[in-house]
Amino acid sequence: MVDVGSASASSSGSNQNNSNPGEEDKKDERMFECNICLDTAKDAVVSMCGHLFCWPCLHQWLETRPARQMCPVCKAAISKEKVIPLYGRGSSKQEDPRNKAPPRPAGQRSEPEANTHFPGLGFHGSFMSFGIGAFPFGFITSSFHFGDNRPFAATHDTQSAEEQFLSKVFLWVALAFLIWLLLA
Amino acid sequence: MANIAAQRIKREFKEVIKSEEVAKCAIKVELVSDSYTELKGEIAGPPDTPYEGGNFVLEIKVPETYPFNPPKVRFLTKIWHPNISSVTGAICLDILKDQWAAAMTLRTVLLSLQALLSAAEPDDPQDAVVAKQYKDAPDMFRLTARYWTAAYAGGPYSNPDFDSKIRRLTDMGIESHDARVALSSFNWDLERATEQLFS
Ligand SMILES: [Zn+2]
Ligand SMILES: [Zn+2]
Repeated sequence: MVDVGSASASSSGSNQNNSNPGEEDKKDERMFECNICLDTAKDAVVSMCGHLFCWPCLHQWLETRPARQMCPVCKAAISKEKVIPLYGRGSSKQEDPRNKAPPRPAGQRSEPEANTHFPGLGFHGSFMSFGIGAFPFGFITSSFHFGDNRPFAATHDTQSAEEQFLSKVFLWVALAFLIWLLLA
Repeated sequence: MANIAAQRIKREFKEVIKSEEVAKCAIKVELVSDSYTELKGEIAGPPDTPYEGGNFVLEIKVPETYPFNPPKVRFLTKIWHPNISSVTGAICLDILKDQWAAAMTLRTVLLSLQALLSAAEPDDPQDAVVAKQYKDAPDMFRLTARYWTAAYAGGPYSNPDFDSKIRRLTDMGIESHDARVALSSFNWDLERATEQLFS
């Protein structure tokens, strides 16, 4: 009984697959149509609300109504800065997008949460018992560079100022952490 | 015409003629010019409204900046509705103005117009006379709208009382459309309509 049932079910299933493969393909294609020109999205971007557009199309829409920046599909608030470009495998060919519209905004990459900066926190519970005294100093000196004694400080002019500032901020945070540890 | 506009209308046109609303005869689109700049739309009057049984023809002009700007649409079929001019057929509908969004299509426009026939917005009127009647004399409004649907859109309704009042005016040399407008505007008060027509 069971065998017969499952056999017929699977055969009818395969029949369905055979009956309209073209339809399925079309649906797949339409998934990637720009919501403005209705063509396959070129220089594709996706809004925060998840709607897909060609970058030139979306750009022109935002230019048309500068006072009311909304998603053409769901009317959610939208902005040029907050769209995500899509880079498919086949899209490596870099045509100059400035021909018609300003360059598509770049993807934003943030580094994965790096454990190395905070070797003792959370992940390695054993560390705390290792010795509170040694940790903060080693941490500060190894992770953050003091002052200008970095070999590449001169070559990265604009970045180095920023990095210096950041390392100072981190230093103060680390010191505050140290004081907190000592008081606790 | 800008390439994107023509391309998109072509795609939409193919899509709308395959849609289920077309299959149900609720909406229809036809090309007027080969350049896809002008189309003719048609919507069926929604059931349970004074427009039921009527067929309303629309003029659709596609601007060069479509779909970034809305199509220009007006009723060619005369209609009695607070948001549609009984004189010019001009439509007051937010999505055809500032609420337009580039992802909207001919299909969504026609369906929105059909929805407008089901749910008028008298507080945002296009035709002040109709809107006033809609608010102050809703029964008179319904009768008048149904009468217009029969006279201009092929609706099945008939009203011998209204017919005879119009005949009284046409006998005096008034065009039947002008007579219908005047009587409709004065809640079918023959005296006041006559006064207005001959003043
Ligand atoms: Zn597009
Ligand atoms: Zn959206």
